Amino acid sequence: MTDVVKTSPQQPAPGAAPPATPPPPASTTPEGMVALIIDGMALTVKKGTNVLEAARTLGLDISAFCYHPGLPIVAQCRQCLVSVEKNPKLQPSCQQLCGEGMVVHTTDPQSTLARKQQLEFTLLNHPIDCPICDKAGECTLQRMYFDHDNADSRVDVPKVHKAKVVDLGPTIVLDQERCILCSRCIRTCDQVAGVHQLEFAHRGDHEILTTAPGAQLDNPYSLNTVDVCPVGALTSKDFRFTMRAWELEATPSVCNGCATGCNIEIHHKNGRAWRLVPRHNPDVNDYWMCDEGRLTYHPLREHRLVGAIVDGLPAGWDRAIRAAADRLTPALASARGSIGVVLSAQYSNEDNFALAKLAKAWGVTNVYLAAKPDVPSRADGKLRVADVNPNRAGAQLIAESLGLAAKPTVELSADVRVLVMLGSELPEIDDAKLRELDIIAISTHEHGPVANAKVALPASAWAEVSATVTNNKGHVQRMHPAFPAPGQALAGWEAVVRLAQATAAKLGYAHAREVFKDMTSAVPAWSKLTWAREARPLALRFAGSRG
Amino acid sequence: MAAPSIPDASGRSLKQLVLGRKDVQDLSDTEQELAPDLMTVNMGPSHPAMHGTVRIVLTVDGERVVAGDVQPGYLHRCFEKESEHATFTQVFPYTDRLNYVSPMINNCGWAMVAEKLMGLTNEIPKRAEYIRVIVSEMSRMTDHLTCIGASAMELGAFAVFLFFLKAREWMYELLEKVSGARLTHSYVRIGGVGKDLPDNFHADLTLCLDQTVKVLAEGEGLLNNNKIFRDRMAGIGAMSRADAIATGCVGPIARAAGLDYDVRKDYPYSVYPEVEFDVPVGTTGDCYDRYLVRIEELKQSIRILRQCLAQIPDGPVMVNDHRVALPPKQATYNTIESMIRHFKHIMDGIRVPAGEAYAFVEGGNGELGFYVVADGTGRPYKAYVRSPSFVHLSTAAQLIHGHLIADVVPIFGMINMIGGECDK
Repeated sequence: MTDVVKTSPQQPAPGAAPPATPPPPASTTPEGMVALIIDGMALTVKKGTNVLEAARTLGLDISAFCYHPGLPIVAQCRQCLVSVEKNPKLQPSCQQLCGEGMVVHTTDPQSTLARKQQLEFTLLNHPIDCPICDKAGECTLQRMYFDHDNADSRVDVPKVHKAKVVDLGPTIVLDQERCILCSRCIRTCDQVAGVHQLEFAHRGDHEILTTAPGAQLDNPYSLNTVDVCPVGALTSKDFRFTMRAWELEATPSVCNGCATGCNIEIHHKNGRAWRLVPRHNPDVNDYWMCDEGRLTYHPLREHRLVGAIVDGLPAGWDRAIRAAADRLTPALASARGSIGVVLSAQYSNEDNFALAKLAKAWGVTNVYLAAKPDVPSRADGKLRVADVNPNRAGAQLIAESLGLAAKPTVELSADVRVLVMLGSELPEIDDAKLRELDIIAISTHEHGPVANAKVALPASAWAEVSATVTNNKGHVQRMHPAFPAPGQALAGWEAVVRLAQATAAKLGYAHAREVFKDMTSAVPAWSKLTWAREARPLALRFAGSRG
Repeated sequence: MAAPSIPDASGRSLKQLVLGRKDVQDLSDTEQELAPDLMTVNMGPSHPAMHGTVRIVLTVDGERVVAGDVQPGYLHRCFEKESEHATFTQVFPYTDRLNYVSPMINNCGWAMVAEKLMGLTNEIPKRAEYIRVIVSEMSRMTDHLTCIGASAMELGAFAVFLFFLKAREWMYELLEKVSGARLTHSYVRIGGVGKDLPDNFHADLTLCLDQTVKVLAEGEGLLNNNKIFRDRMAGIGAMSRADAIATGCVGPIARAAGLDYDVRKDYPYSVYPEVEFDVPVGTTGDCYDRYLVRIEELKQSIRILRQCLAQIPDGPVMVNDHRVALPPKQATYNTIESMIRHFKHIMDGIRVPAGEAYAFVEGGNGELGFYVVADGTGRPYKAYVRSPSFVHLSTAAQLIHGHLIADVVPIFGMINMIGGECDK
C-alpha cells in the first residue's frame, strides 16, 4: 500500500500491556486519508486500506493465510484476528478497513491467543511432510507456526487422511492432506485466469479442494496457484521434487516469452535455472505470469550454441571472426548492397543497438527485423499477447532512431549474398534461398538458419546477461545475469564488437553499460533512462520464508 | 683459482670493486670478527619451536634480538565473516577451531552471547551449567598441560611433554565420551548442552583427576627446581603489571605480572560462584611466573572439578524453551508441530532478537569475549571475537626485545599463542 505517513515510529516493548492510547488527531487528517493507532503507534493511511496492510507498513507481522494483496478478500482463515477497541469481538484485520480514530491492538493477550489457537487448529490434521514437501523452507505455515505458536502438539487422536496425489490437470498435482483450505488458488483461477476451475467439496474435517464439476485445472495461468499456495498442497509438475527451495538463489529478470515482459525472478542453482516465478510489478504483470512463460527456462539448456562454428565445424572465436571478416571485407569494399543485416526481436536492446550501429558504420542499407510469427490464439486480453517476441518494440525503435528502415525478413533483397544476423529466426524464407546466402549468425541456439550458417558465433541468452528489453507498452526493463553462459558464448553485443574490429568499423564497447549509455543518447525516447547496478543473486535461505 | 687482480687507480682489486668486500684471508685480525651489521633471521611461519603458525622476522645483533616483527595471520579462517553466513548453532564448530586446545570454553562463550541476547542467561538448567563448568575446566586443564608440556619440550625436557600429554589424552578421551569428538567437540548448545554426561562419568573423571595429580607432581618435580629450566625461564620475557594493563593482557600472563583478574571471579558466570577456588597471582611477570601460575591453575581446576562432581544436580540439560530447544526426535517424527520447529531451527536457525551483546568467559589464555550484533534472524548480523592470543601476541615483540634468540622460544611458548584463536 502506498501513501502511508508514519507519525510515531516508537515500538512498544514486546509482551507489554497495551499502552494508554492518546486521542487520535482527528481534525488534522488530510482529505482521503484516515488516522488510526495500531499497537500504540499512530499512522495515517489512504482511505480504504485494510488494517492488515496498515500494520505491515509499521513492520508489524500479523499472520494471515487467505489474505493475498492481489486477490479478493474473504476473511476465512481467521488467522489475522486483531482487537479493535469498542468492538466486542475480534476482527479479521484483512477485511477490517481502517477507520478514523480506530485503535487496534495486535499483541494483546486476546488476539495473540486467537492466532495461536487458530494455528493449532490448522495443524490438527496437517501431515508430517516437511522433509519431502516442495514448499518446505518457503512455507507460510511453517513461518506462522514458528513465529506465532511454537507450542507442542496436544493431539492424541489419529490424523484425518486424504488423497496425497491428485492430478488436477496438465501442470499441477494436489496433496489434499497438506491443503489448509485458504481458497487462494480458487480465487486466483477466478480472478487471474477468469475461469472457475477449483472448488471446495464436503464439510468439516472432510473438506477438500478439488476441481469444479466437469472442469480441469488447465487454464494458462494455473501455476500461479502454486505460488500463492501458503503450503505445499499444490505443486508444479515441472518443479516438483527437483530442488529444495532454500538452496536456490533468486535473480531479478524479465520473462522473454512474449511482448508483455512479465517481471520475474530466476530461481537458480549450480549454473542453471530451476524455475521462474513472477515478481510484483503493478505496471506490467501485477503478481502473476502465465504457465508458458514459466517454462521458458528450459530452452536455456537445449540446443545451445556453445562454441563458434565455421563451415559446420567447431572453431575458436578468433578463427570464426577471421572467417566472417574474409567474407565481409570484399563485399564491403565493392558491393555493399550484397550485405544484409538482420536485427532480432528476440534479442536485447543492447545486442540490437550494437548490430544496428555496426550496419550504420558499414553503410549497409539492407536492414531487416526478424521476429517469431505472431500466435493469435495466445492473446487473451490479460497477460498473454499474440506477439511472442520480448523486444519487438525496442528493436524497431532502435532501427528508427538510427535512421535505418528495418524491413521484415520476407522482403529480403535478391541482391543480398552475405547476411549478418542476430538470432536464429528467418521466417518465410525458403531453404533454397537460404542455401544461396552466406550467413554469419550471432545466436544463442543452434537451429534454423544457424545450422547452415557459414559462421556461427555463440551468444549468451537472456538469463545470462545484463541487458534490457522493451515490452509492448514501451517499458524498458532490465534483466540481470543469473549464471554464466555455457561454453564460449559471449553477450550478443560483444560478438558484434569483435566483428566490427575485424572489419575496421569503429565500435568500441567494453561493457553492456556503455552500449546502454550510447543507446540512450541515440534513442530520444530513452534519453532519461539510467543503468542500475547489477543485482546480486539473493540466497532464498537468507530471505526467510516468503510464502 | 684466484682471479687475476688488476689494481685500479685507487689500488683496489677488481674483486674488491665487484664484490665490495674482501676475501676472509684478506681481512685483518680485527676485521675477521663478525661484521657489526645487524642480521635478519626468519623464524616461522612453520618451525618446530614456534607455537602455531606465525612468522617472526628477527633483527639480531649477534645472538641478541634487537627487533622482532611478529606477523600473524597464517591461520586466518574468516571466523567473524563466516559466522554471518551460518546460523547461531552452526557457529559452534567454528568456535571449536578458535583455541582448539580448549574448545569447550569457546563453545560456552558463544552460547552465552546468544543466551544474553535472548534473555536466557538465568534460565539455563542447573545441571547444564554444572556440565558447562566441568567441561570448561577440563578444557582449561588440557590447555595448560599442552602449554607447559610443549614449552618444556622446546627447552629440552622431553619427558615432561610426554607425561603431560599423557594426562591431556585422558582428558580428551573423557571429553570424547561426553561429546563424541576428541578435539572439536561442538558440545555446548544455546540453552544448555547437546546431551547429558555419559554413564560412569563421575568415576571416570575422579580416576582421571587422581592420576593427573600424580602426573602434575612428577612434572613439577622435573621442572620446578631444574637448573636448566629455571635459567631459561626465570627473568626471561618479564612484563610489569602496568604493561599488562596497558596492553590489554589477560589470563595467566596478566596474573603472572601481578594483575589479579579472572573473569570467573570478577564477572562470575555460570555456577562459578557456587564453587571455591583461588586465583594464583605472580610477582615478577616473567616466564617462570607464567609457568607457576599455570601449574597452580591446573590444581585449582582439579579443585573445581571435584566440587562440581559433588554438587551437580540431576535434571534436564537443555532449557525448556521452544525458541532454542530442538524437539525430541520421537516428537519430531510424529507431530507436525515438532517437525516444523525442528526444520526451522536447523534451516533458519535459532531466531535471536535484534540487539547487540558482549559475553565473555575465562578461556585458557584469559578473557575470551564474543560480541554479536543480531538483526532478528537466525544468523548473526556481525560477530566479533576478542581473542586473548591476539592481544598477547601484540606484546611479543616487546617481550623478546633484548633477549637472546634462544629465549624467543620460551617467551613465545609461555605467551601460548594459539593460531586458530589469534588469527580468527
